[in-house]
Amino acid sequence: MTVYDLALQQLINGVSLGSMYALLALGFTLVYGILELINFSHFNVFMVGSFVAFYVLEGFGVVGQNTIMTGLPLVGVLLAALAVTMLVTGGIGIGIERFLLRPLRSVKGPAAMILTIGVSYVLFNIIVLGAGADSKNFPNPLPPIAFTFGEVVLRMREILIWIISLVLMGGLTYFVGYTKLGKAMRATAQDPEAARMMGIEVDRVIMMAFFLGSALAGAGGMIFGLYYNYTSFMIGFSAGLRAFTAAVLGGIGNVPGAMLGGMLIGLIEAFSGAFIATAWTDVIIFSLLVLVLVFRPNGLLGRMAPDKS
Amino acid sequence: MLLQMACPAASLPGTDNDNKGEQHMITRRSTFKAAAGVAAAAALGLPQHALAADKILKVGNDNSFTGADAQAAVRIANAVHMAFDEANADNAVPGYKWVVENFDDATATAGQYDPAQGAINARKMVSDPSIVAALGPSMSGVGKAMSPILSMGDLAIITMASTNPDITDPKFARQYRPKGKAIYFRTVTTDAYQGPNMANYMIEVLKAKSIYILDDSGAYGVGMADAFEAQAKKKGCNIMGRDRLDPKAADYTAVLTKIKALNPDALYYGGVGQAGTKLAKQAYDIIPKMIKAGGDGMVSADVLQGAGFPAVQGWYATQASPHVAGSSDPKVVAFTKKYFDTYKMYPDDYSITAYDAALAIIASAKKVNAEGKPVTRSAIRDMLEKIEVPSLQGLVSFDANGDIKDHTVSVFQIEKDDKFPLNDPGKQYAYRGVAPQS
Repeated sequence: MTVYDLALQQLINGVSLGSMYALLALGFTLVYGILELINFSHFNVFMVGSFVAFYVLEGFGVVGQNTIMTGLPLVGVLLAALAVTMLVTGGIGIGIERFLLRPLRSVKGPAAMILTIGVSYVLFNIIVLGAGADSKNFPNPLPPIAFTFGEVVLRMREILIWIISLVLMGGLTYFVGYTKLGKAMRATAQDPEAARMMGIEVDRVIMMAFFLGSALAGAGGMIFGLYYNYTSFMIGFSAGLRAFTAAVLGGIGNVPGAMLGGMLIGLIEAFSGAFIATAWTDVIIFSLLVLVLVFRPNGLLGRMAPDKS
Repeated sequence: MLLQMACPAASLPGTDNDNKGEQHMITRRSTFKAAAGVAAAAALGLPQHALAADKILKVGNDNSFTGADAQAAVRIANAVHMAFDEANADNAVPGYKWVVENFDDATATAGQYDPAQGAINARKMVSDPSIVAALGPSMSGVGKAMSPILSMGDLAIITMASTNPDITDPKFARQYRPKGKAIYFRTVTTDAYQGPNMANYMIEVLKAKSIYILDDSGAYGVGMADAFEAQAKKKGCNIMGRDRLDPKAADYTAVLTKIKALNPDALYYGGVGQAGTKLAKQAYDIIPKMIKAGGDGMVSADVLQGAGFPAVQGWYATQASPHVAGSSDPKVVAFTKKYFDTYKMYPDDYSITAYDAALAIIASAKKVNAEGKPVTRSAIRDMLEKIEVPSLQGLVSFDANGDIKDHTVSVFQIEKDDKFPLNDPGKQYAYRGVAPQS
């Protein structure tokens, strides 16, 4: 394997990893953009998403690495699992917003943020108690098709992850940019007070942001499971922290910024692991974050959040 | 799953941490009563055991009951409880009754063992006057945190699985046994043998000429990989690199792709299941044909289940003890049968070393009692240094540092056996022989 092969392979690894972080980072950014709230429960909504997908796939009879599907059944099962996962995690997001955060919305200070940390631990422990603390062998129905270029391998699941992420991110960009509710979202992000005066139902917009963010986290969780064929109650923290870093790096509140940040973190993780040492990955990621914040305090593409002063 | 795992522990005597004060009171009162009884008996010339039949000897059993290593901990705890239940049934130490209290050194936040929790457990054990000896932990990181506290409390502990050599090394005596006397005993040998012997095996038997080494940044994993690396270098093997995995990270494809590019003959991993599971899974995709090996951290139900077949197939792993489980020795056969009948799972080698550790404590207490002395912490500790215990793995005895005198390291390879549960470490690891000692 030459250096070029290695670099190309890491590019594939990094983009896959980056897509996952980007999906997760979008959830942080959507909520922050509108409420200026860092939603730490997002970490474990992602983790719950991977467990929902795990059980849905097992429900379809896909167990471990032994059930291979092809053609229409494969597409059907994957789409169904993705839809159920996104609906369930989206529902969790709405629940968190409606029943836990809305009563606190008028409270100043960090109370809401602390609450999201609490919710994160509740989700975490529900999974530990309900599903067990052992690592799970995530069902993998994908046929073992791979394209090889020299020694570089591009697998079916990587292509699948790229497709799912592209479709979801494209859909979100379209939604935020061109639909009525998306415009309402942007308006609320700019100035909630004025938006309300223009007749926008701010509560609905906020709920939508939580739904979308959590649904994307759920999709991220399912992708995580398909990519690593593994899930456990632990996966939320390290992926969540990196995705949050990605959101800040790209400019929190900024939708394209979150995608860019996620990609960057994924690529850095892949390349530093191959060309420096895995032990240094976190040092590099977080040093870069510090540097970016020192020189561009609003992140790479600029921060977008309501001006509430 | 956790509920399932918690059940054997919860149903066992002495797991309840509440009502501590009450327990103490009862213990104190019964001690007082017993003492009065002994005095009265002595005065009347009656045989003592008739009156002092329910004096309690408590044993603290520390292990990682939450997270990645929970299943291994349950297998160990089962053996411990079995040994003490048998001792109670046989009245092994006349006049005393054993009670085992489980302590969990893992936290949900860490997702695996947490040395800080181990230190808390050690303090709890030391401050409970009814605890006369301790068993565990499985994790060297925890052992390092517990040992100094136990040393100050003069409470001997026997580990059935933790293998980091520093804890018992006289070089570090001031750190790990500030009181000087051996406090951390083992019924397994250490990574000072486990790592190097496996290096010998990989170079001499598997003919590996170049090796890449990974560890999981824990005390055990780093120590193991260091010892392995030193011996492999000494034997002239080409060490192509060394890297460290973050057990909480999910993605190891970067470093594995790098290893693929370097193309060594073998990969050696020092560490436990949390990183090991993900490593096995991703290594199967990226370097399927390379020889892959780990230490006893790769012998676990969690690795078998989380990584699953075919990813784990072919991995080598070691145990820092002679391979006894599954032997045709009638004692072992009887043990295995009883264990399976009681707990519906097969014991592995560390269930056996755990059982042996419990036997050593029981034998020490028995001998102290037979010499007519009161069974106290320090009496048991002193006796452990001298005693030779017939056990499942043969005659167990400890050197002046607490290490077991036998240094056998056994090599296993994961080989799918459809006849048994695919997550049963007692059945899916095929024995490959004893690793050559240097």
